[in-house]
Amino acid sequence: MRVYNNRGWLLVAPAGLIIFCIGIVPLVTIFNYSFFDIFILKQAYWVGTQWYEEIFGSSRFGLSLARSLLFSAIVLSVQIPLGIALALLLQRAGRLRTGMLMLFAVPLVVPWNMIPVLWLSLVDAHTGPVGRALAWLGAGFDYKFNALHTWTLIVVMDTWHWLGLVIILTYAGLSGIPGPYYQAAAIDGASRWAVFRYIELPKIGGVLSIALLLRFVDSFMIYTEAFTINAGGPNNATTFLSLDLGEDIKAYNYGSAAARSIVYFLIILTIAWAFRTATERRRAFSGEVRA
Amino acid sequence: MSLATSSQPRQGFGFWLALAAAVVFILLPLGEAVLISFTSTIPRDGIAEGSFSLINYLNIARTPELVASIGNSLVYVSLNVALCLLTALPAAYAFSRYAFIGDRHFFFLLLTFRITPPVVLSLPIFVLFAQFGLVNSPLGIALVHCLFNVPIAIWILESFISAIPREFDETAFIDGHSLPSFFLKQLLPAIAPGVGVAAFFCFIFSWVEVVFARILTVTAGKPITMAITALFGFQTDMGLVMAMTVFSLLPSVALIYFVRNHIAKGFVIRT
Repeated sequence: MRVYNNRGWLLVAPAGLIIFCIGIVPLVTIFNYSFFDIFILKQAYWVGTQWYEEIFGSSRFGLSLARSLLFSAIVLSVQIPLGIALALLLQRAGRLRTGMLMLFAVPLVVPWNMIPVLWLSLVDAHTGPVGRALAWLGAGFDYKFNALHTWTLIVVMDTWHWLGLVIILTYAGLSGIPGPYYQAAAIDGASRWAVFRYIELPKIGGVLSIALLLRFVDSFMIYTEAFTINAGGPNNATTFLSLDLGEDIKAYNYGSAAARSIVYFLIILTIAWAFRTATERRRAFSGEVRA
Repeated sequence: MSLATSSQPRQGFGFWLALAAAVVFILLPLGEAVLISFTSTIPRDGIAEGSFSLINYLNIARTPELVASIGNSLVYVSLNVALCLLTALPAAYAFSRYAFIGDRHFFFLLLTFRITPPVVLSLPIFVLFAQFGLVNSPLGIALVHCLFNVPIAIWILESFISAIPREFDETAFIDGHSLPSFFLKQLLPAIAPGVGVAAFFCFIFSWVEVVFARILTVTAGKPITMAITALFGFQTDMGLVMAMTVFSLLPSVALIYFVRNHIAKGFVIRT
């Protein structure tokens, strides 16, 4: 039980100060910028909501949003089931499991700008083993000009990068299930599916929701990796939301970039809010007590 | 331990095939990188192109920019880990033990900033940091990486502190410990694994981040990630690029090894 004591604020103050300086202040700054046309920072002209009207008035925003949503949907539907399946397998892998968990964690520590470099080198038609194997099989892999191939490459690369996170979180959740749960299920003659559906899935709900949240936002706002693969091409087929924003910043369209940033932040805020509401509902439903 | 493991002593062929496929998938790009890093990839006197060679690793040591970048990365990442732990520890304690006005809102704020992508805040951060002379300085990157690392550190530390019963604190206070002395002498030793896990996550997230690290290092203080990008040019020495990439993985892989038992045992994070 936590005691009511506003001394808590003293203790969170240092963290609060940092978040205020590098989170809140920049946010207010771009909110301000988003109503100006800015050539250089000392010459700004009030334009009201013009940038917002342009963003919502053009098809560019809608199309990028649709691409980002599609990408996140694919990423989640591939990585979450695959991650859960591998975590379940790992549980039964005996002495190998720690070593394998460590291996699955390695892609997480590769610098983000090197991940596309690794994959591009792998699928290179002349020097990469995967690229040569595909060419030998007669399947021409052309990630530069074939949109489907670009998408495939980015999804596979993203899965390689982040599968470890889903596995580690799920595995952590599974390890927390007490043995008697399984024994009771075995006595009842529960099927493997029933054990998963009624014991494991509810017990890993908490960590799984974290995995879902992190995988959703990070894929929804994928930037470095997707940009390096094909710079949003071919024909903008992989221009996701963040790439649009990156274009604005590179073109020094500060006003427009600021408005776009605010719109994206509001999307993120909505996601965070939905996540918390869902978590609290789940907690209330399962009768879990907030520690 | 559990019946689930003991009732299935022998795993079938499909089980090992699935795990092997996953291992190959993970190892393929890594193996390729290691292979290329030990290959001489551009024409050189005395070494045939495409032959096995340690030249790339020697070239890292011979390139001052690359050596400097390793130092730069280590400095700002260490600073960031220190900043995160120092600010997150009292905050995590507060969230674990006290209820106070707006605690839920502050927690929500942390969550929101954790998931805000760097590219959204990169423009104002650059403008602000330029005014305070924090561009090209390791302190600037260390500060801005707190945006996603402080929330993570608070989450992890909070779960470890909450695993300790309240009586532990009360006994210490009755024994005459002040809050700072309790933190240093009692709490820290008790949650040492949690501090390790939090430091691990702060380290790797700061180490791999590139958007902030790029915009905040315009002319100097370039981290490893940017030094590698700078290697790309008209005739890129892929061997050197891969050698540097493999080299950049070493500290993180060493850290994974140190926290392996905590990853495997699992830790619960409150949402």
